[in-house]
Amino acid sequence: MNRVEDEVLVRRVASGDERALAGLYDRYAGLIYGTGIRYLRDRGAAEELVQDVFTSVWRNASGFDPARASFATWVYRITRNRATDLIRRRKARVRTVDNELPFESGEIDPSGEISRNFDVSAALSRLSSVHREVLVLAYFHGLSQREISDRTATPLGTVKSRTTAALRALRETMSFDENRWSADE
Amino acid sequence: MNEHPDTRDLLGPYVMGALEPHEERELEDHLEECASCREEAQELGLAHERLADLAYSTETPPEDLKERVVDGLPRREARGVPAWVAAAAAALCILAVLTAVLTPDLFGGRALASANLNPTDRAPDAGGEVSIQGTGENMEMRLEAWGLPPCKNEQYYELWLVEGDDRVSAGSFTVGQSGRVDVRLNAPNFAGSYPKVGITAEHDKDPRASDEKMLSGELHEL
Repeated sequence: MNRVEDEVLVRRVASGDERALAGLYDRYAGLIYGTGIRYLRDRGAAEELVQDVFTSVWRNASGFDPARASFATWVYRITRNRATDLIRRRKARVRTVDNELPFESGEIDPSGEISRNFDVSAALSRLSSVHREVLVLAYFHGLSQREISDRTATPLGTVKSRTTAALRALRETMSFDENRWSADE
Repeated sequence: MNEHPDTRDLLGPYVMGALEPHEERELEDHLEECASCREEAQELGLAHERLADLAYSTETPPEDLKERVVDGLPRREARGVPAWVAAAAAALCILAVLTAVLTPDLFGGRALASANLNPTDRAPDAGGEVSIQGTGENMEMRLEAWGLPPCKNEQYYELWLVEGDDRVSAGSFTVGQSGRVDVRLNAPNFAGSYPKVGITAEHDKDPRASDEKMLSGELHEL
């Protein structure tokens, strides 16, 4: 069974449903945290980024318009803007101490890679639970096909065919702009 | 495409580099001769690259961060909603989750969403359950409630789907001396997407909800 769409969860967040926000956290917090570590180079700052982003989602959910952008695009923009703010704030703070910058200046996500990751994360969340499970175990838990077979008590041949079907479904679900992607590469 | 089903089933693990060496050799021999399988492998390879990028960019946050995020959310002032709603929210969450886990088939049909109903000061002994079931245009809401004050004169009760300030009527009913009701009401096909339900006491033909809230609850998908 497919999960509730991101956009439905945002509507619930707008009406004050903390569980809906927790659902969105489960889908995107790892990517936001990873983005924070990559650009802020500090786990504490990355945690601050995650908190800032979800507080912003909570505050602004009623203004989210799914006709203008997907939730993945919206939360990506919040993440990029909040990360930029945090970098500026930390730069200013550190400058006052030793006048050296621990961060490289420059735009966050100039290649659009992080943006694409949010789109893929959204596509992954829309897969059926069996397809999502096999991909999550392989890519995020690093399990081999045989280990997935053992973990899920599923015949190895079924795991292989399911992995193929899951990648195919993901490819079809991805809501990215092929032209923009190829232009980036 | 149903050509070479056995080979096609292996294309996913192939683009991931997860096949046994002999399987990989056999598949590559096949790919040299089969353009459609090559094309499919290319498509799956793109999905693989995107997923690998995503996994590389994802880090597991500290276990307690989620709790800190939710606990740190700024309090939201509910517009025009009495304080009892906020006070009951936490208890409703727990009750509704328990309902979803323990009674997934609340009324014998395939329930899509359900809510436990909590009382207000107007009906402190009242309680109830709402379940949404059905498919497509044939959706219905099953309401079972108890402890409601018996209706007098022109009074009746109305069940509402609630989201923010929006109220959509799901039907009306009356209650006798028993204070109990067990009814099925036709529901709009989007009923399950509403976060809350509520019951008000009504006295006139005004299509809007009155302020006399008797029961309310949060809908949870099952």
